[in-house]
Amino acid sequence: MQCLLIDDDLDDQEVLIMTLEKINKNITYATANTGVAALDVLADGQLKPDYIFLDMNMPKMNGIECLTNLKKLPQLADCKIFMYSTTAENAVVQRIKELGAVDFIVKPASPADLEKILSKILGN
Amino acid sequence: MIEIRKNTPLEKNNELYHRMIEEIQDYAIILLDKNGIIQNWNRGAEKIKLYKETEIVGKHFSIFYLPEDLANDLPGLLIAKAEKNGSASQEGWRKRKDGTKFWGSITITALHDNDNNVIGFSKVTRDLTEKKIAEDHLKMSEERYHKMIAEVQDYAIILLNENGIIENWNAGAENIKGYTASEIIGKRFDIFYTKEDRESGLPDRLLNEAREKGKAIHEGWRMRKNGSQFWGTIVITALHGKNNELIGFSKVTRDLTEKKLDEQRLLTYTRELEIKNSELEQFAYVASHDLQEPLRKIQTFAELIQTNYADEAFVKKYFEKLDRSAKRMVMLVKALLNYSRLDKDKSELTDVDLNLVLDEVKQDFELMIEEKHATITSEKLPVIKGNQTQLGQLFANLVSNSLKFSEDKTHIKISSHIVTKNQIKNPPLSLTNRNYVQIIFEDNGIGFEQQYEKIIFSLFQRLHGKQDYAGTGIGLALCKKIAENHNGYITAIGELNKGAKFMIYLPVDTD
Repeated sequence: MQCLLIDDDLDDQEVLIMTLEKINKNITYATANTGVAALDVLADGQLKPDYIFLDMNMPKMNGIECLTNLKKLPQLADCKIFMYSTTAENAVVQRIKELGAVDFIVKPASPADLEKILSKILGN
Repeated sequence: MIEIRKNTPLEKNNELYHRMIEEIQDYAIILLDKNGIIQNWNRGAEKIKLYKETEIVGKHFSIFYLPEDLANDLPGLLIAKAEKNGSASQEGWRKRKDGTKFWGSITITALHDNDNNVIGFSKVTRDLTEKKIAEDHLKMSEERYHKMIAEVQDYAIILLNENGIIENWNAGAENIKGYTASEIIGKRFDIFYTKEDRESGLPDRLLNEAREKGKAIHEGWRMRKNGSQFWGTIVITALHGKNNELIGFSKVTRDLTEKKLDEQRLLTYTRELEIKNSELEQFAYVASHDLQEPLRKIQTFAELIQTNYADEAFVKKYFEKLDRSAKRMVMLVKALLNYSRLDKDKSELTDVDLNLVLDEVKQDFELMIEEKHATITSEKLPVIKGNQTQLGQLFANLVSNSLKFSEDKTHIKISSHIVTKNQIKNPPLSLTNRNYVQIIFEDNGIGFEQQYEKIIFSLFQRLHGKQDYAGTGIGLALCKKIAENHNGYITAIGELNKGAKFMIYLPVDTD
């Protein structure tokens, strides 16, 4: 199982990875600090993540723009993309679902809560 | 005499003639002797003046005149004139037997004997009372109408001839436009239009429209005599003669300057409110998102520490992270407070020497300048009217921004120029002054792609990750607000890895 994390906040990356590893030792992951960097990594078609966790508020290219571009990539046809951000506005949640994201995860304050959310997602 | 020559054709003719005169009903035809004594009376005279022949023959014709005419000896004057010129005509009020008045139109004609001596007068009088009353009525109504227009105060009501020349002027026109009738009659109505409107041919366009469609309606700024402007709403209506030919135009103008200014004030107020409102929304978003972020991390790190209490290295690492998040939170709150307070600071503008402002900022950043091996060079900067504290923050944030977004050996070059509004590229609508001082902060830092020019001035918008470059994302938003508080403007030009150039425009009163 492979995950791609796209988040400009390195602390949040770290916590997410820590939690993923706790759920499943065999998980592999790649990270990108910006949307542009993620698209670069995916450009050659080699990387085929099963899950993408995409931050909403990032410099230059925000999550929505990035999501729009990710959905154009053929190798991501079966990839489940989750938005992953501090706050969720109804309009944005609606929009990302229209664009093909599975769901919007509000970054929880508690790592234990995060673990529950991720277990549910990866378990399915 | 009559008896002797009875029934001769001439006499018969004479008699017929007498009867004719006698029976004429609509004209009083009277024979006077040379002293003005009534000799003869016809039916018309009786009908008009109500005297019977027996009552009036032998009386002087001045009996029909009013006391004021008698005082001027009008009857005597008319007789004298008829004697001299052959006849005399006059119209005036006369008196009937019952004392009522009628409007008489009279002609007195002198009668002569064969030696051309005046032997008497004929006096023909017509009763034109009804016509006179109707005429007077019409005249009065016309006068009232003219008065009404002349004295209307709130509307300029002007008559133009078919070429747009002013023929008539009322009190309202004088009130609104400042010209007296004698100054303006004979001039063309273009004189009320602004130079731009005259050059674009607006006055003629409106006349043509009125000519073709019957009327033309327009609203716009117009010129008073003293050069000031008023917001006029006008209606030009074509006037036509009996055969439907154009004979001129009426032009009614109302001064709605106050209403217009009220509207503009309302519009400005509404726009300000809208801007404030969207700023508040942005602020609320920021409060919910950007302030929650470090707070959430503090909670996360606290929980991680709690669950890994035994792992000393882990605890140390996450305590440091927790501390950084708390510090960041404090910094954000302070910066936000500072930003929101800018609006409330309505202190008086004073003369601010920008050279002194820059000196202070250099001192404040002494340490950072040294670390970055930075140099700041500046030309002599002007003294401008402004808020000293805010201008200090403006300079501090621009210097800080350049130092932050540069690797090493930063060079910040500061210069200033006076420019006119027209020289500013794409100025926002809010710039209304004629002249501005342009202050340029130019650096050799990491720059930015020009497409992000607007974003860098938005609250909490960043072009770089927090771990790459420090900062809250408030600094340039603060600069923008300070420029706007001074009725100015800030813009930037950037080139990636070459540098950034910030230009601030602040209004100045120089000619």
